[in-house]
Amino acid sequence: MSALIFLEWKRLLSRPSARLILFLTIFSPAAGLFLFRPSAADTMSSVFLANPALAGGAAGGILFGLLSISELDRGKRSGTDVLVWTAVSPYTMAAVRLWALLSAALAAFVLTAALWIPAGRILAGSVFDVLDAFWAYFIFMGLALPLAILAAVSAFQFTGRADLSLALFGAFAILSLTLWSGNWQLCWLNPCVWALSDDFSNFRIFRSAAYMRLTWAAGLSGLWILSRPAVRRRKKRAAALFLLLTFFLAWTFQPFTDHSDPDQSVSSFDQIPPADGISCVRRSVRLFPDLRAGTVRGTAVYHFLNTSGKPQSAAFGINPGYRICSASAGGTAVPFSFDGRQEFNEALLEVTLPTGSETELVLEYGGFPREDRSLSAMQGSAEISEEYLYLPNADLAPRLLNVRPAGETIPAVTEITLPSHMTVIPFGPSHAEITAENEDGTLTWRYESEGTGGICYAGDYVRQDIEADGITVEFYYGRKHQDVMEEAGAAEAIQAVIRYCTEHYGPPFCLSGRTLKLIQSRTSGGGYATDGASLLDEADFTAANLKNSAKGAAPGEVMIHELVHQWWGLTQMFDSSDPADPWSAEGLTVYTTYRIVKELYGEEYADTHYTDQWIRETNDYYLNFYVRRPEYFSRLPKKKQLDITNRFSRVRQYCEMPLKIRKAEQLAGGEENMDRILRGLFSREIDPFHPFLTWETFLNACGLTEEDLNLDHDFSI
Amino acid sequence: MITIFRYECRRLTGNRFFFGMAAILLFFGQQTFERVTLTGVSHTAPFSPWSLGDFACRMLPLLWAAALSFLTFFTSPQARRTAVLTACCPVSPRRYAAVRLAAALAGTGILTILCLAEAAALTAWYFHLFIWDIVWKNLLFPALITLVPPLIFALGSGWRLGNLCPRLLFGWMALPFFLRLLPLADNFHLWNGQFFAQYPLTAGVLDPAFFIPAPMVLLQLLLAAGGIILAGLFPLPALPMRTRKRTAPKSREKRSSL
Repeated sequence: MSALIFLEWKRLLSRPSARLILFLTIFSPAAGLFLFRPSAADTMSSVFLANPALAGGAAGGILFGLLSISELDRGKRSGTDVLVWTAVSPYTMAAVRLWALLSAALAAFVLTAALWIPAGRILAGSVFDVLDAFWAYFIFMGLALPLAILAAVSAFQFTGRADLSLALFGAFAILSLTLWSGNWQLCWLNPCVWALSDDFSNFRIFRSAAYMRLTWAAGLSGLWILSRPAVRRRKKRAAALFLLLTFFLAWTFQPFTDHSDPDQSVSSFDQIPPADGISCVRRSVRLFPDLRAGTVRGTAVYHFLNTSGKPQSAAFGINPGYRICSASAGGTAVPFSFDGRQEFNEALLEVTLPTGSETELVLEYGGFPREDRSLSAMQGSAEISEEYLYLPNADLAPRLLNVRPAGETIPAVTEITLPSHMTVIPFGPSHAEITAENEDGTLTWRYESEGTGGICYAGDYVRQDIEADGITVEFYYGRKHQDVMEEAGAAEAIQAVIRYCTEHYGPPFCLSGRTLKLIQSRTSGGGYATDGASLLDEADFTAANLKNSAKGAAPGEVMIHELVHQWWGLTQMFDSSDPADPWSAEGLTVYTTYRIVKELYGEEYADTHYTDQWIRETNDYYLNFYVRRPEYFSRLPKKKQLDITNRFSRVRQYCEMPLKIRKAEQLAGGEENMDRILRGLFSREIDPFHPFLTWETFLNACGLTEEDLNLDHDFSI
Repeated sequence: MITIFRYECRRLTGNRFFFGMAAILLFFGQQTFERVTLTGVSHTAPFSPWSLGDFACRMLPLLWAAALSFLTFFTSPQARRTAVLTACCPVSPRRYAAVRLAAALAGTGILTILCLAEAAALTAWYFHLFIWDIVWKNLLFPALITLVPPLIFALGSGWRLGNLCPRLLFGWMALPFFLRLLPLADNFHLWNGQFFAQYPLTAGVLDPAFFIPAPMVLLQLLLAAGGIILAGLFPLPALPMRTRKRTAPKSREKRSSL
């Protein structure tokens, strides 16, 4: 059969149409530089590796699909199939043709990679990584071609007609490129690749895309077997069923995203009543990440005091991808169960604690962490590799939900063992220290913190200390990014932001010892902040941004936003019990970011990228049919209602509220008056029983009512 | 001719292609409705003429491909071989072509009606509206103006191209997809699917009454007329014949001199 395949391959490549398609496929990645750019991030790898590879996969897939149908139809049209079948059975010939097409696709991929990987090196510059480039082209483009061939050949073998199989394949491709492009499991031709990191690894997104492709490969292979001319029916059916079953199981039990409740206005885990008579004295965690497999294994120990005299149920939030290997108290196994509920990327775990005044609960857990389903089209943040590690809250250790601390808070000790080239950075005021050097070359780090959660970063980081208005900023960024950071003047940019906020509002007294950590994370499209730490997205400072004349060497806006959260959100807190409430830390933070950007980039830039965008999105929200006619909204399916609600809550917090604050600024008499009002709010005496900065407090400080700030489509500000 | 028309209709609609195409269109239509139309287009209701017109626009590329695919039944090499026999029939070639095109139009029309009926049914189901109200008030006119002229043009131009070279039909199927990528002038926005998404935003009022500018209607009528002319269904005016002065052939003069 191999001789037949080689013969068919030679015949295929001798045809001018096949050579044309080969030629077009080799140069199709060029479309990713200009026309088809699905990756939204500004990192060099996204622009010069991911986009060309994705464009090559989409275009090459369509071209090879058309070639497959044309080749299969050619034999039928010319009547030569009948002659060929006298020498080779149709069953065998179908396999021969498929393998010939796959071989041609392999040749096309090899030639494309040989051309475009070196081109990517030239375009991406110093951040180019040959392994990332290979995986990008292999997974995003190389695996698209066989899927397209299988789909097209199956369509033709089922229908027996070129026109119908063209329509079927065309619809399948169009659906992937358009309506299914936001669903990571459905977009077989164009995987959801939001970003590739320059500074850190990308194994998570590569694994996710490869898993999706292999799932479809199983399904399409099963379809192809079913569509083949039947000779040995039983074996054929068994193989096809096996592959289709594999497809179904791989689809259903995919390990990458969880099944969190899509209704993001519900937070039932936070409303679990505290267990009576039980408190937590302290907790400790020992972590052993498997950096090659991207998994985590850990042991968490909780010390409880139980004065109730009866067994109690302790509730934990844990990453839905983890399983509990064992749960024991005092050396004796204790029952535990998963509730089945999942919210905000946590699964509810319930452990029954025995009676006993003091209990030491030991949980051994581990697994492959899953990401939140609401971010399934932007996967990649849960990266665990030899270059980067990110473990937030329930990914780090089971998070206690319903047990009060014995004291003011729950002291925690975390130990983590990692290769020597990685630096551990707790996202908070504490610092990690090396406590042991192990025989295998790894180091064990230890740090102390408090509370029920915690976030841990690790990677090959460089630390630069920056002094700004009495605040010491510990700036951590990836070693690969050092040249770009220095060229961008990152230190000066950070000083500018801190100076602005301190001068306008005052020093952020949430900072412990007046020290702030600023940590560069793997690109994620956003960030967050906590007491004493803020995040900086690697996309804030990229070589591409440096070439943007509108920004020049000015700071990235995500960094500004996250730094400003030290003032609005952390020093001044906001009640976050209702996630759908438009009044939140984001309103004042976005407004302040706008003011800083206006000072740094100019009013025109600030209006174009902030005010105009707020107006556009708020207008879209007010004019939306379902907002104006809620009686029709209630007739939609629940899932569709949730999609719309989640989208609007973000618009209200990030666009409508800053617009209202800008209107308040105008009604209050200008920027200077608003600065005076905000300074007063920032430094006001806080009520310890209700420490939140509320919407009413803001209105009172401005001397305005809610009706004064109604926008009512009047965006003339 | 009615017998031939019925036969051609049965030939086009009683095969795997028709049913397969119908299944593809229904599935694609359902996905388009659920993911795009249901959210409402340009701040209008999902059952407004604008949203349903946008739905029709999105279905046009597949309907265009289906219309051209029907023509391959008549222009394929196998069909051309049998043309030797059918040419012997005492039937005007133009009338025969018209009957065939009418059959292709009927097949395309059935597929179009299926797609539109699906949209109407889904709208009625989600919003508990009376289906005939949706069809008569909100769906019929936008669908007619959006779909009928391009499909007539598809059949006419496809007939001409298919008779030149059958393979050209397959390339011609890609035209609507290319048009969607091009930044066309305002009056051509029905051709790249932007009219229904953008025009209500410029109307200055919420939920504007359905309206198509006269130039656009004219363009659609010209498109339909172009399709009919390309199909060769109307005889074009004959050019006047030139008359020449006859002279004796030179060879006879040479023979006489011998």
